[in-house]
Amino acid sequence: MKLFWGRAGAVARKEVFHILRDPFALAAALGLPVLMVIIFGISIEFNMKDIPLAVNDADQTRSSRMLLDRFASSGYFGIRRVVSPHQAVAELTDQKARAALVIPPDFESDLISGRQGQLQLLIDGSDNSTVGPVSNYVNRIVGAGAPALYDLRTRYLFNPELDSRWFVIPGLTVVIMAILSILLTALTIAREWENGSMELLLSTPVRPVELIVGKLAPYGVLGIIAIAFVYVIARAVFQIPFVGNLAVFGLGSLLFLITYLAQGLLISVVARNQQVAMQLAMVTGMLPSNLISGFIFPIESMPTFFQYLTMLLPARWFMRIARDTFLQGSGLIELKVPFLALTFLCFAMIFLATRKFKRDLEP
Amino acid sequence: MNRTLLGFIRKELTQTLRDKRMRVLLFVVPVIQLTLFGVALSNEVKNIRLVSVFPPGDAVMQKIHDRSIASGWFLPVSTQKVFSDPFELIRSGTADAVLVAPPGGLTRALGRGDAKLQLLLNAMNVIEAQAMESYVSAIVQRTILEDLRLDPPEPSIQVNSRVLFNPGLETAIFMVPATLAMVMIITTMVMTNNAIVREKEMGTFEMLISAPVSPAEVIYGKTIPYVILGMSNFPLILGVAVFVFGVPMRGSLLVLVLAAFAFVCTAVALGTLISTFCKNQQQATLAAFLFLFPMIMFGGLFFPIENMPVSIRWVAYLDPLYHYIGLLRNIMLKGGGHAYVGTHILALGLMALVSVVWSFRRFRTTL
Repeated sequence: MKLFWGRAGAVARKEVFHILRDPFALAAALGLPVLMVIIFGISIEFNMKDIPLAVNDADQTRSSRMLLDRFASSGYFGIRRVVSPHQAVAELTDQKARAALVIPPDFESDLISGRQGQLQLLIDGSDNSTVGPVSNYVNRIVGAGAPALYDLRTRYLFNPELDSRWFVIPGLTVVIMAILSILLTALTIAREWENGSMELLLSTPVRPVELIVGKLAPYGVLGIIAIAFVYVIARAVFQIPFVGNLAVFGLGSLLFLITYLAQGLLISVVARNQQVAMQLAMVTGMLPSNLISGFIFPIESMPTFFQYLTMLLPARWFMRIARDTFLQGSGLIELKVPFLALTFLCFAMIFLATRKFKRDLEP
Repeated sequence: MNRTLLGFIRKELTQTLRDKRMRVLLFVVPVIQLTLFGVALSNEVKNIRLVSVFPPGDAVMQKIHDRSIASGWFLPVSTQKVFSDPFELIRSGTADAVLVAPPGGLTRALGRGDAKLQLLLNAMNVIEAQAMESYVSAIVQRTILEDLRLDPPEPSIQVNSRVLFNPGLETAIFMVPATLAMVMIITTMVMTNNAIVREKEMGTFEMLISAPVSPAEVIYGKTIPYVILGMSNFPLILGVAVFVFGVPMRGSLLVLVLAAFAFVCTAVALGTLISTFCKNQQQATLAAFLFLFPMIMFGGLFFPIENMPVSIRWVAYLDPLYHYIGLLRNIMLKGGGHAYVGTHILALGLMALVSVVWSFRRFRTTL
């Protein structure tokens, strides 16, 4: 056992030298997550405002102008006037407007004579995410309101003001760290093969497990420091609340980082070639953690098969841990499923990397 | 084209394609990803776990609950825990939404004329919370009006909405073009960058320079193969998008290919430019992260660019992925507005030009 740690420690020390020798990589590993969280923390906003709306007012009466004033003063829409319904559609095609409102010539006379005033609303369906909000806002402004027979009060728990940042930043941390961890280790073993230093390493008495553990440890430390930086930014700059237990978040971070670092190592062992390793890291790290970890697109909305498939993704579990500890204050007991799953994935990755590595060495 | 250049291209293509795993990564993995993300992802919020808290015999609430479940958006939660604290139900993750009837039940409260319903939502996902609220309020309104035998009030203004270009709001039609673009940039930009940095790292780049070839030949020889590779999987992915996912192809194929070509050139040129700043492949990976991650975030898939502050919107305009996703959607779904397509292809071309010129200067000064 003592020898185990001795040899793993030697590998770790070598890796530390390697990291320190390249200040660019070190700065990138620590600085990039912070930079990204700041940029996207500032720029991301889900609540839409000033949606460009092409308006063709063929009525040109007091009623139609009053209606348009309501649209303009709502803050949701920025009005672009066009001369014909045909031009309104052209505005949509050229992406100058997200929606178009056509007010027919008899709008006011209909209202005065007690008939329903007709409006035509055309919504650009090429971006699904805006269709729902646009039609909601329009209906709210036009005022197809319910009669006051009852009173439905909604309480938004854990994010009472529906602040986009509270939702995005913990998730963003997860996605960024997932990608970064894979990238940090994806090249380490492939590089040794390519440079020919692997033969040297193999002639030493170091065993596969020791090599894997030794390679993981320094990057694990680096990752934890990066997460700590991001945590401070989230709390201090963006004022995101953290109601949970910091130790639970820390433990989750550690498990999560090791799992992804081990996945990077597995890629590195499998690929043996830095170019292939890089592509594999991008394919298995970048897109899945962005798209199917529950970051933006909710997992519950996926078809059942894919819901199960996402269980193989460590980011999915840490997403839950990060959001719950930040906003909801869940403890270890409530998060037992994500923690168990993450622990399992962590050991599975280390085991796979070690075994694959061992098999590669046998003649 | 001269022979040196041809030799260069042949060498580069052979080197990349001789690795079986690389062939799989180039031609099989993109199709898998497109399928995976095209089928799995959805903007529509579904399977919300709903608990309704009401005393037994409250007929209106029972109807609201049953309707919610029947709508397909909600899932019932096993009833044993129903009578515990509604807040606790959400906190423990048992439910996403809890609808609480007024004391004594909604049916009686309606009779008294002061019906106060409370809806508790888990709002950690902002988008989901808004969707849940609009579902519940629509169902509550309809059920109560029906129960009171009131016709829905006739609004004085009627809005006739039509969704153009994707009337069924099918997610695949919206997701697949964006995924296609993301898959393409990973293969092209990252691969070019790696290929050049590898030669630098292994020292073979010095050999190239000492050989009787001009810097232009080196650059073209290193980039053209990747433009070819990048374009070679485009028909395949496009075929899957159109024939498997039924993404409509309303515009001209020629224009679409032109847009893809402009995009691939830009991606390869950017990869080349980035490679001039990297000494080894470890740096190349981090640089790829530095560029690729913001590109994906600003691509317009996750967050509408219009919502961003103006200064940051300018960063998005520098993102080739933003232009390309816009182009794909515009050409495939809308048939291609001339002004839009022209502007954005031009923007891509300009970016490619700037990157190529800049790379030339970098090569000249660093070598």
